[in-house]
Order: sequence, then C-alpha cells, then structure tokens
Amino acid sequence: MILPSQTTPKAAASLPFYDSDLCVKCNICTAACPVSGVTALFPGPKAVGPQMGRYWQPAHPAVDPATTWCSGCGVCSRVCPHGVPVAEMNIVSKAELRPGPRLSLRDWGLSRPAEVARWMRPILPLARIALRSAVLRRLADGLFGLAARAPLPDVAERPLSRTRADLVRREPAPRAADPRPRVAFFHGCSTEDYEPWLGQMTVQVLENLGVEVEIPPQVCCGLPLQSNHAFDAARQRARRNLAGLLPWVERGIPIVGTSTSCTLALKHDYRAVLGLAGAEVDSVSEGTYDLFEYLVHVLLPGLPDLRLQAVPLHVLYHAPCQLRSHRIGSPALQILRAIPDLRLEVSQTECCGVAGTYGLKSERYQVAVEVGRELFVQARTAGVDRVVTDSETCRWWIEGHSGIPSIHPVELLAAALGLPDLRRYGMSRP
Amino acid sequence: MSKSLLVIGAGLAGLFASVLAARRGASVRLIAEGRGGLALSHGCIDLWRDGELRFSLARLDRSHPLRLAGWPALESAFAAFLEIMHEARLPFAGSLDRVWRLPTALGATHITSGAPVSLASGTLDDPEPISIGNLPALRDFSAELVAAGLRSQGVDVRGIVELELPQPRSPRDLYPQEIADLFDDPDYRAQVVSAWKPKLRGVRRLGLPAVLGRDRALEAFASLEQDLGVAPFEIPTLPPSVPGLRIERALRRLAVEAGVDLIEGPSVRGEVDGRSAGKRVSGAVGATAGGPRGYRAHAVLLATGGALHGGWLSFANGEVQEAVFGLPIETSEDREDWAAPTLYQEQPFARLGLRVDARFRPCDRRGRPFFENLFAAGGLVAGSDRTFEGSRQGIDLASAFAAVEAALS
Amino acid sequence: MTTRSTQLLVIGGGATGLGVAWDACLRGLSVTLVEQGDLGQGTSGRYHGLLHSGGRYVLSDPASAADCRRENALLRRLIPHAIEPTGGFFVSTQADSPEYADEWLVACGRLELPVDEIGPATALQREPLLTPRLTRVFEVQDAALDSFDLLHALARGVTQAGGTVLLRHRVSGLVPHGGGLLARIVSHGDESAFQLEAQYVVNAAGPFAGAVAAMAGVRLPLALGKGTMVAMASRLTHTVLNRCKPPHDGDIIVPVGTVCILGTTDVPVRSPTDLAMEAWEIDLLLSEGQVLIPTLRRHRALRAWAGIRALYRPAADRASHPGGDRASSRLGTPEGHPGGDRGATRTLPRAHVLVDHASTDGVPGLVSIIGGKLTTYRKMAEDVVDHVAALSRVKQPCRTASTPLPAAESRHYALDSRPIRLRSASPVDSSIVCECELVSRPDIEDALRQSGSADLDDLRRDLRLGMGPCQGAFCAYRAAAVAARLLSDPPADGGLAAFAQERWRGLRPLAWGRGLRQAEMLRRVQVELLGAASATADDG
Repeated sequence: MILPSQTTPKAAASLPFYDSDLCVKCNICTAACPVSGVTALFPGPKAVGPQMGRYWQPAHPAVDPATTWCSGCGVCSRVCPHGVPVAEMNIVSKAELRPGPRLSLRDWGLSRPAEVARWMRPILPLARIALRSAVLRRLADGLFGLAARAPLPDVAERPLSRTRADLVRREPAPRAADPRPRVAFFHGCSTEDYEPWLGQMTVQVLENLGVEVEIPPQVCCGLPLQSNHAFDAARQRARRNLAGLLPWVERGIPIVGTSTSCTLALKHDYRAVLGLAGAEVDSVSEGTYDLFEYLVHVLLPGLPDLRLQAVPLHVLYHAPCQLRSHRIGSPALQILRAIPDLRLEVSQTECCGVAGTYGLKSERYQVAVEVGRELFVQARTAGVDRVVTDSETCRWWIEGHSGIPSIHPVELLAAALGLPDLRRYGMSRP
Repeated sequence: MSKSLLVIGAGLAGLFASVLAARRGASVRLIAEGRGGLALSHGCIDLWRDGELRFSLARLDRSHPLRLAGWPALESAFAAFLEIMHEARLPFAGSLDRVWRLPTALGATHITSGAPVSLASGTLDDPEPISIGNLPALRDFSAELVAAGLRSQGVDVRGIVELELPQPRSPRDLYPQEIADLFDDPDYRAQVVSAWKPKLRGVRRLGLPAVLGRDRALEAFASLEQDLGVAPFEIPTLPPSVPGLRIERALRRLAVEAGVDLIEGPSVRGEVDGRSAGKRVSGAVGATAGGPRGYRAHAVLLATGGALHGGWLSFANGEVQEAVFGLPIETSEDREDWAAPTLYQEQPFARLGLRVDARFRPCDRRGRPFFENLFAAGGLVAGSDRTFEGSRQGIDLASAFAAVEAALS
Repeated sequence: MTTRSTQLLVIGGGATGLGVAWDACLRGLSVTLVEQGDLGQGTSGRYHGLLHSGGRYVLSDPASAADCRRENALLRRLIPHAIEPTGGFFVSTQADSPEYADEWLVACGRLELPVDEIGPATALQREPLLTPRLTRVFEVQDAALDSFDLLHALARGVTQAGGTVLLRHRVSGLVPHGGGLLARIVSHGDESAFQLEAQYVVNAAGPFAGAVAAMAGVRLPLALGKGTMVAMASRLTHTVLNRCKPPHDGDIIVPVGTVCILGTTDVPVRSPTDLAMEAWEIDLLLSEGQVLIPTLRRHRALRAWAGIRALYRPAADRASHPGGDRASSRLGTPEGHPGGDRGATRTLPRAHVLVDHASTDGVPGLVSIIGGKLTTYRKMAEDVVDHVAALSRVKQPCRTASTPLPAAESRHYALDSRPIRLRSASPVDSSIVCECELVSRPDIEDALRQSGSADLDDLRRDLRLGMGPCQGAFCAYRAAAVAARLLSDPPADGGLAAFAQERWRGLRPLAWGRGLRQAEMLRRVQVELLGAASATADDG
C-alpha cells in the first residue's frame, strides 16, 4: 500500500485506494512497458510499483530510485488483467523521490507551458532564434537539462482565445429552443498558445458538422505540473478548471478537447492521481470527450450519413499512449477508415517516447528516443506521407525524429469535409 | 448490411474470433479489460492430453465444449489458425492426428498437437541426442533443470553448453521478452553467432530458451540455424513467455489490419436490448477513464476467460457469477471443495463456467439460451478443466470458430 | 551404532527447546538439541508474530500479563534485530463494552503496563484503514517478533556457546539408562542412527511431547489446540491491532514483514499432525478482522496455515491447584471465558507447566515442559534450567536476561532492509530470484551452502522465498535452478512439485475471488507450463 506523504491528511483520506495486493506478479505489465523494454535502468512497472509498495512503511517510504525512469505513459495500468493501478502508484511514488519542494528551473518551465508562452510572446523573434540555435540549445542542455535535440514547438503570436474571442464565454449562452448541438471546447495550452490554428480548424470542422462551439474559462489542465510532481499547483489549476467548466457540464453540454492529455487529466487524473473528489469532479469527468470520441459516440452515431471527400494520402496512424489510457480505443480510426482513398496503416507501438515532458529532459532523452524508435522506423520504412496522431507532444516528437510531417486526425477530417486549404493553417509540408 | 459483432476478451479465443469474423466481412469491435493468458502460455496448441482426441471425443460428456463444437469445427478452426499464423510469419507444425512431445523448462514432457516450428524441432521422439544451452543472464530458464528432468525420462542429453550474451552484462535481470527483442536485431545476432559458434563444436541439436526473437522470430531463428551450424529448438521459459507473446502480437496486428476496432482497458457491463422483451442483448457499456460509453452490435461474443482473468467472479459465500451480464453459474460443490487437495488433480473450480447450447449460446439447464444473440467461447464455457485435460488452446480455437459461425449466420 | 554422550539433551527445536539449550549452555552445561524438522517447522514457526505487551491478559491472566510485560522489555534488548517495534493498539469499538475498557485500563495500571490513551482522530491518521467506529484507543508496547529470526539467533547462540544443534534428526527411542536416559537418534536424510546418553532430558517437543514421553513409557496428558491464521497479502496496518474485549478468536491483527496476520482460532485436535483448516475458521478470522479493518474483504487474503499448541491437561484426580512438590507447576488462573466446544482448550491455563517425571512417573532425568507462549519463552527456559540445574547441582545462575543473542549478518526479514540491500548490492551478482520478497541469488547460494539441503521449503523458512503474493509460482523454479547449479545431487524436478503442493495447501482454504486467481496462476505455471507432476509430491 502506498500512502503518499506529500499530501495533506485530508487529501490522503480521499486518495483512491491503491490496491497493490491485487497484483499476482504475472509481469504482463512489465512485458508491455515501453521503457523497461529498452533500458535496463528501469526494472519495470511491477517491480517499482506494487512490488515495492509492499515495503512501504510510514517511517520509510520505500521507493526505488529507479522509479524516476517511469515515463507515466500508463500502458501498465491498461494491460493489467487484475485491475492494479500500476501507473497511478508509480506516478505518486515518484513524487517521493523529489529532492526538495522546489522544482528545478527546467522542470518549472516544462510544467508551465502557458506561462512560458506568455513570457516569450513579447520577445518572439528573439525567442525563435534562440530556440533554433544549435549552440544555444546545447547550452540549455548543459545548463538546465533541456535536451538539445528534443523538438520544441513554436509559440504563436496570438493565442486562440484572442483570435476567437467571439467564442469565449463565462457561461453557456442562454438558448431558448435551439436544437443545435453545442460543445465547450477545452483547447489546452498547446492549442491556445502554440497551435491556435488547430483550434480554428477544430471549430470549423465542428461548425461544419452543425455544432455550436463555445470556449469556456480554462487554464492549463495541470498535467505537466502533475508529471513533474508539483501536485499542489496541479490541484490549483484543476480546481479552477472544474469551476470554469461546471456551468456547461451542469447543462449537459459536452466538453470536447483535441489534446488527449488534457482530456485525460479532466477525465481521470484529477480523481485518480490528484485525489480530488466530489460531484463536480465526477460530472466533469463524465462530461469530457476527446474530439473524435464526441463525434463517434455523440454526434455521429450512424457514420454512413457523413459525406466525405477523397483524401489520397498514405498515412500511419499512431494512437498516443494518453489516448489509449482513455480506454476508448482509437475513435479517430473509425472516421479515418471512412475517408475514401486514404491509405491507412496503424502503428502497434505503445508509446512514441516523449510521454509529455519526459523526452524533453536531457537525462531521459536517449531512452525516450529508444522507446519511439520502432515507430520512427516504421513510418520511414512504410514511406508514408504523414503520421497521424491525436496528441500534440507526440506530433512534434515524431515529426522531429522521423522526418515525416505529423498531423492531428482532425486535419484529415477537415480535408475530407472540403474545408479551406490546410496550408493556410501552417502545416509544414503538403 | 454486414453484421456487427462485439467480442469481449482479448485472449486466444477472443483474438482468434475477431480475426475470423472480420475476415468474413463482419464489423468487429474487440473490447478487453487487460491482456492475459497468452503471456502465460507455451505458445502451442494443446488439444488433448494424450493426443487421442479423435477417439476420446465421442466419450466426452455431451456438454463438453469440444463435443459441442464437433470434430469438423475443430478441424476448420485448427486449419484456420495455422493459416493465420503462417501469414503472420509464425509457421506452426500441427496436426489433429499426431502429437509432438516437447521438453518443458523443467525437463518434463509436454504433449501438444500444434507447435511453432522453432519449438517443434525439439520433439523428444527424435532419437538424436540433444544439448541444452544455458544463458546465465536469463534466470527464467535453467539448462540444469531441463537436463535433469529429461534424463530422468531416459532422454539422451549430451550436455549443457554455457552461452553468454554478447552485450555488456545488464545491471539487472532481463526478462525473456527483453532478450527476445535483442535477437530481433541482425547485428546482435551476428555477435551472438561469433560468441557461440566456437562452443558448439560437435553439437547437433541444441535446446535453447525461447528468446530467439519477438517480432522477427522467423528470421531470427532461420539465421541462427544457418550461422550456428546446429539444429536449434526453443523451449518456453517462465512467463512472460515469448512464444505466447508472439501469437498475441500477431493476432492483434492482424485484427487491426482487418479493421477490428480494438479497445483496450475498460471493464465492461453487458446491456440487454430493452425493446426485445429480454430476448436479445444490444451490446455493452465500457467503463472508460471518463464516463460510460456504449457499444452496440448485432451479436455479442463473451471470451472473457474463467477463474484467472475474471470471466466469472466467485465469492466467499459460495456464489459464482459471470462478470459481464451477471449470468448465473451453478456450482454443485461447496466453496471448500472448489480446489482439490492436491495441485495435480482435476479441479472442480476449473470446470465452472457458462453452460452453452449447440450454437455456443449461454443457456439454462434445459438448454434454452438466455439471449438469442449472446455467445460464449474459450475458458468461460463450462465443463472442462483445461489444465488437467491438456485441452486449453483446442477449446479456445474450436469454440471461437463455432461461436463466430453461429453469430454471423 | 556409535554412542555419544551429553549432559543435557533437549528434544524440540522451537523457541522453548532452543531457549532451554541457550540458557543451559550459558550455565556451562554440555547440551545437544535435536529437532525432527527444520528450524521453524513446528509451532514456533507457525505463530502469528506477536510480541505481547501483556495487554491481552491483564484481566484474564494477570500473572501471565506481568510475565509478558517483563519479557517484552527484556527481549527488545536481547534480540532487537528480530523485533519490529510496531507498537500496538487496543481498540474499543462501538460493538465493545465501555465498562470492559475501563476495567482493562485499571488492570493495566495495577500491573504497571505502559499504556497511553490516544485520540480516535490520531489513531485513524496513523492507521487509515482502522475502523472509524472506534470509541477509544489505547497504545501499548506490542511488537512484531519474527520467530524465524529468533530461532536462527538462538541456534547460532547455542552453537557458538559450544552446544550442538541437530536439525532433521528425530528421537526414535528413549529409555532410562544409568540414572539418566539413552536416546536413539535418527537422521532424516540418510536414516543413519546413533545413540546418545544424557544425564537429563528436556522434552520440549510441543505437540509431539506426548509421543516423546510415551517412548520413555510415560503418559503425558496433553490438550492439543489447533489455531488457524490467515496472512493478508499486504501490511494493512503498521501497528498491532487488538480488540479491547475479553480475548477470543480472531481478535488480533499483527503486521509481520510484508504481510499482516489475522489470528487465531482454537480447535481441539487429537493428533499433532492434524493441521487441516476449516472453512468456518477462515470465515471467522475474516469476519472478526473486518471489525477492526472494515475494508478487509476488499483486500487479498494470501494464505492460511495452522499451528498446534499443546497445553497440559492434568488427570481428573489432579485438581488444578499448585501442589507442594516441585514436580508440578505454577498453574495460572483459567483464561478467558467458556467458548462452548470450540473454545475448550482456550479455557485451559496457558501458563507453562513443568513436569518432572522422576516423581510423577519414576523416570529420573526426564523433564517435560508444556504450554506457554512464545513471548515468554525465555522465562520458561529459565524455569526449566533452574530446575535441571538444581537437580544437577550446577551453581551458575541464569544469564539469558543479560546476554544478548548473536545478531545475524543480514536481516532477511526486516522490512526496510531488503530494498536497501538490493540497491547496495553489486548489480551483476545480485540476480533477484524471488521478486516478491526480494531474495537474491547470493542469498540462496549462501543458505544452500550452509544447510546443504536443496529443500525449497527450508529455503522458504530461511529466506521467505515464495511467501509473497505469487506464492512461489515464479521464484520456486528460479530457486531450484540456483540449487541445481550449486549442489551435486539435486532432485530431478528441483523439488518443485513438492514445494508447489505445499504452497497449494495454504492457498486452498482461501480459494475464492482473488485468492482463487492466485491458486490458478500457480497451477498454470507449475502444472501447465512447467509440467511439474505429482510423481514426486506428497498428497494432502
């Protein structure tokens, strides 16, 4: 049993029950773990999780230092046939290994993508030069531990909430008898600050399908903070999001996101890792959808009605590890399969390696690349035009390492719906 | 309109059923709470403990799953599986009319009707003496135990060859699948060959732990055979067992390629069609990371397993219940008698499961199916202690085949 | 047949026997101890791990409580490495009588037992799984005592002090001989035998004491009470939990190493080998445990086992009062309350009884020691050796209260030491054989070299191999592999079939729900994958 010592007693009381004694030691999780599969530095999720958990005592939380190698990809929890929350246990116990209450400068930056974007924005041209300078990147690697060769996204000049201020609301607009479906778009920092064009495209797609989109009050989902063990700060963000989203959820309006990590945080991590409880947490969890999940389950049951144009591309679809952790399969595939002329291959790789911020850290970079190697090689060998994946960190990472442009599945749907030229939205190559 | 099938459970029965159904044009969705059985298995197709199934079949209880499936279904299922494995570059040696006697990691004899070619060449019916290779880096396989066990059965074991792995010694124990991944790399294999070849002079047949490649096992095995100049064969190790993992990986890939919508992770609750007066099921509801999501289909196939992976649940008060639809499972024994006094006897609990009709639909004692469109296959079906009978994979394949036939007809 | 001689022969290698041997060695006697099995195979190895504070007995058996209090403090100094100072709670719940709690507290005061009342909120913070329906909580000096560590330490002490410890040796004959006794001793391994002349014989054979005495033609009336215990798969509590109520079945939960143990029942049996566990006992332990830990049944019960306590049941004409001669014992007041047929042995005095067969049965030199509890083993041993010393005119006083036992080189059982050892060991050499209990290959090789036996069950007792959640499904093979490499003549299947069957015995009473999954996992790996077969296994 693990009871994290970093939480307050009240939070500890509401933490989920980490039932390590369901583990029968079959090592199925270890066989699926993408990290232990490529490095002997990590003994595997079972070894550092339910196995070490039996040695936990209040006086000495017995955490194996090797737990820091866990990338938090969540494969282990998902494949366990006995319901052991291996990944959650490891995420929490990694926090025990934090050297102190303060984060390093690097981790502080990596866990606050919204703030970092805000500060870079005024000096954007300078920032861009810095980020692209190999010399400065190597310096950053040596000084701060930010991996020199890890691909980093570009900061957008104007965030989504400014370009589409028309959609931003404090509360759902009152609608007397409007039969149109409506959603609250949780864009997350990645779309807001780095890829507002993706947000634009998503709004366009939804509107094209007859959906009204509103942008509710929201802050960073908190997952980067959680991944870097700043649980209290993550909880702060979580509470603000819960408050901001509740008015929509209460009216039965689905919350929809394009970033599979943000939506996972809302659905799962708030409860299972941060230990938040209560009716509003449950309602938001149940009311949150990945974009394609929303399309497949809510908007378009009975897919045949959708008229899709041909998109003659050869693509490799990779389901991000966070999407798999939603436990909804790959809903995007269902729609992609219906696009005429689309040559679709599907990746079997469990994780591309970046796992959020893991691969950006100098000390983890090499392992992260090894984890994703199989995917990069598959993409190159298959000679696909695009790699398609729902998570932004995956897209940047895969594109940077395979050399093949990586796109969100909504971009293919937009093309299939005949929406304006994708190139206007900054896709790198046709 | 093509039929839709919801398969619940991703063990051998569920995966095989999904591939069969998808290739027959059905729209298939496979949902599983986790992964299971294949990682624990030897990767072979066991039909019957003494290999005499064709003769024993008629004497089995009428409700035994093999009897219900019938010989023709078993034949077709077996053939289909071998074909699929061949396609997946995992060729099998298999026959319904002969058995292979293969060595286990303990040096005991395992009788099977179908084995991957890399294992089948270890047949104990070949009188040529064997040597056993020991990999000190692998704790999950002991050449000494293999040799001692085989010798006690009169097998001519010439000796044990110590074979180090070329890489610098790992800072921790390696699991079998991790070593298998190393063998997928041709450069690694070349290093292995130069390290091992000098030690193999005079060795003809060489038993090795089953770690010779995972995704490129066929290639790995063939190249080692050629370059080492011996006739190697694989022996399954402790779990995670690579031969089982190879089958699992291949079936998953083929399923996805055939268009199966594979959903991993949610626990599942069955749903009855409210407009059918209780006669039909409509699908199932998955407990996802967020809210529940419904999955509908024309037919549902339960391949959720038995005792080990939760196809049915058992309680202190002696009740047993099927896990997805809550179907009742009868047990005639008291809870205290579910497990026999020794490990090696037939176990009453292992025979528990759902009674099924001739179309593999769960039914009551009088043979009336609970639902017209609900089917069951694999370990969930009652009537057989598959460990004791040596019938595990045969029942998985035959029942999956028969259930898919019935579901899609 | 060779004949050896010794001053004192101790029969039985449990805590009592070893305690006697240790005490006697320190007083200068030459001592030989024989134990029919391995260390810890008997009752001492089957107990629930509690080092009593005495709190359990303050009302029912104050003399016993006082003994426990003293011995508890002593043992913490004498053998600290076998003791985990967990502390204990006496918990009064809404189902328990408030008057009892008051009386109990007063009785603790009278006996000067250290007690602190702590607030319910504090108690719940320390032990989050404890029932919220508690009314009062008292903290006492209970601790967890690892009997295997204790037995090993005693055996080491005896050997270092010049005594002889013969494991896997049984006594097959015992006859009066020249003022003392002549014993015939047979080795379990090769059945070789020798004779041993002894001036004095202490029969500390526990439930087998009757059989031993019978060899000398002495009738020793014993009441055998079988107690069943259940280990939960993890440490649900880090503090010993007791119900604050009249002591009865199943009202203690003890954290021991990586598990916690629910105990115990009390069922009269006729034979010292009748260790069968019944469903009602398991259900009772779980139900009683649930009163202290309401979520108990959501957790996995790992394994069940039984141990047999022998108590002295004197003949009807020998009333339960202390006699004038030193032959009889101090008989404490009966403990507890009548429990109907089931609790019959529970009403018998639990204090130890020393029977000198010189006066009672005309066999000089033979002394039997029966009963008692592991917490007070040292005191029992002192009483016995005082008696023998007086008979043999040995003047040395008892030194066990002031002589610490030799510590082990490594503390296998201590909870925190195993992960630490793992990390500090050289990675190339420290292959982990038992992943659940973190037992490494060097650990096993050392144990094999010392014992010379490839018996996996012996390794299990020494190292906790196979005592974790997988119950040997994976590690038994690996351990057998290590043994096969090291030893010259290992059994053909490495002893796996027999070991797996032993593990099965403890899983069987819990074979439903998650426990059934574990049992099936064991079967899948051992029987289906490895092909371990019953040709070499014992049945039942």
